[in-house]
Amino acid sequence: MQDFLELAVSATASGCIYGLIALAYLLMIRPTGIINFAVGEWAMVGAFGGFLLLSKAEWPYPVGMAAVLGFMLLVGWATERVAVRPLVERGAPLLAPILALLGMLVVFRESISLAFGPDPHQVPYPFGFGRLELGPLAGPYQSFFIIGATLVVFAAAWLFFERTLWGKCFEAVAIHRRAAALVGIDLGRVTALSFAAGGAAAGLGGLLVSANVSAHYLMGVPLAIQGFTALVIGGVGRVEGALLGGLLLAFAEQFTVRYAPLPAGYAQGVPLIMLMLFLLLRPTGLLAAREARA
Amino acid sequence: MNARIRRLCAPLLGTFLLLAGPATAQDTIKIGVVTDKVGPAKPYSEPALEGIVFAANELNRKGGVLGRKVELLVEDDQGRPDISAAMARKLVDAGAVFILSISLTPATQQQQNVTMEAKTPQMTPMNSGDTLTTQLPNPYFWQTGPLGSIQIATLLSHARAKNLKRVALISDNSDLGQLLARFFRAGLEKSGIQVAVEEVVPRGTTTAEPQMQKIRAANPDALFMAGVLTPENVLILKAYRQAGLKFPIHSSYNLSVPQYMTVAKGLLDGITFVDAYDPEKPEVKQFVADYVRATGKQPYNIHGYGYDGVMLVADAIRRAGAPDREKIRAAMQTTKYAGVMGAKGMAYAFPEGKRTGFDPNGMVVRVYEGDRQGRVVHTGQQ
Repeated sequence: MQDFLELAVSATASGCIYGLIALAYLLMIRPTGIINFAVGEWAMVGAFGGFLLLSKAEWPYPVGMAAVLGFMLLVGWATERVAVRPLVERGAPLLAPILALLGMLVVFRESISLAFGPDPHQVPYPFGFGRLELGPLAGPYQSFFIIGATLVVFAAAWLFFERTLWGKCFEAVAIHRRAAALVGIDLGRVTALSFAAGGAAAGLGGLLVSANVSAHYLMGVPLAIQGFTALVIGGVGRVEGALLGGLLLAFAEQFTVRYAPLPAGYAQGVPLIMLMLFLLLRPTGLLAAREARA
Repeated sequence: MNARIRRLCAPLLGTFLLLAGPATAQDTIKIGVVTDKVGPAKPYSEPALEGIVFAANELNRKGGVLGRKVELLVEDDQGRPDISAAMARKLVDAGAVFILSISLTPATQQQQNVTMEAKTPQMTPMNSGDTLTTQLPNPYFWQTGPLGSIQIATLLSHARAKNLKRVALISDNSDLGQLLARFFRAGLEKSGIQVAVEEVVPRGTTTAEPQMQKIRAANPDALFMAGVLTPENVLILKAYRQAGLKFPIHSSYNLSVPQYMTVAKGLLDGITFVDAYDPEKPEVKQFVADYVRATGKQPYNIHGYGYDGVMLVADAIRRAGAPDREKIRAAMQTTKYAGVMGAKGMAYAFPEGKRTGFDPNGMVVRVYEGDRQGRVVHTGQQ
């Protein structure tokens, strides 16, 4: 039972990371329809931001974290201005910005690789390398920190979409882009904000996970795949779907490794099988988008 | 008239020949390098290439090989076996008389299809997969990286006193990680040690806790690490420390790279690892001093693999007497070269037609003392 509960904490923390990356995808897909596979590289940039500010410059963790998030807002916004907006304004098909963003993926990865070299870099833990026991639940401090930070982000995202006018604007653009424009919603601003928020969500995911896996130039693509799988499982329609998908994916991965009678290494196939099954059987994911209200 | 033209032309022709003469003498000996500049092997290929460039500069500073400068032709295969053979072909067509392979093991394997057909000598100074010389009967290929089978035999030789009965084995899902795990398992079973549990940590995962829980449940006498991916190995060490486990860890040569001292700070004390680099060896001390003087940077073991590769090839070309591929092939087979890598007194050699040149007794076992790579505690397989 101890193993089971410890693993539950570990899987929840991993699921939160996947959920943050899935949220980054979702924030951009909902209003624009654009799948940005460079979110993994954004996470990597966030991780290296943590390395620079927290390891090298030794800033206090909250200050460094806030600076990384601010920088990632800028990265997301700039990516939209450079790789998306020019194509949209020229009336390019939807595939064009998706491909341009794939190009940006390479640009981010190679820039980081050139600037920091190929070796991994340590990013510090905010509360050290210790172990917390909360009743029957036990795990590294970092797992609980990841869970807490992710819950705050998802709560904020939910409140934004449900309770603010700007959130309603996003939702309106997601439901019908042209109609939203006709009622005066600035599509360009919504798109730019969605990319900026996506950058911040992905950057936070990268910063949080980098304390465990370190910051390295190849960390982006696996995170992008895990986040995309979580998004497919949870569905692109609702914010909470991203978190649900991430948690389901992480629990499936880790409990298969621990308890399924499979030879070593076979458990790696579980996420891919889940991805295929959901694409085939429930392409909308577990949580469908709300219908537009009359 | 003809006589006047001849009188005018003679000095011009003489001048031309004088100019052309030195140009011929300046022809270079081209050594090709297939490396990985952007892919997963980059953390290892990059320092190895730096060692190669340093070695070529050293050779040229001392007059080159056979009186000719060494010219490096470098191609990037991105760690992709599917384009690696094309890079080897490009080097052959460009006139490389030898190819050094410092990309991934599967990429090196693919290059052999070209070097075997083009009869161009090829060597990897750092790949460790045991299968590189067994899958193709390629008489133009050699390997001087320390084989996985040598690594596990050396580790077991050191651990013999511990009387291990049941152990755990953990690796990652990279090609080389899987290959090393295969040879680690074979070496353990050959020694009568049961592999009670074997786990794989996939590339890009966010935790190794489920794998470590399974290992903890199996209660092994020791844990052997065969993985080669640094971030995943760090995750393994973190899960091990978090779980408060006490059984000893014996690792492949991957833990010999110095990056662990910073990225796995606080996790390393007491871990033994196998290495092909003895900092106390006179050749190593000389290499480090020369490298620092020339570049201002501190080299480590991976630089040594690249350096030894070029020096070994230069030695073969010298003994061949000409940059002729067939003569170099014959000279390679009679190599006996003591380089930077390996235990004190070790020399690379390919006796009795063998094409793996790392001495089975040439590895050392070292132990982490705190976060520092400590002394050599064991040498070879005796």
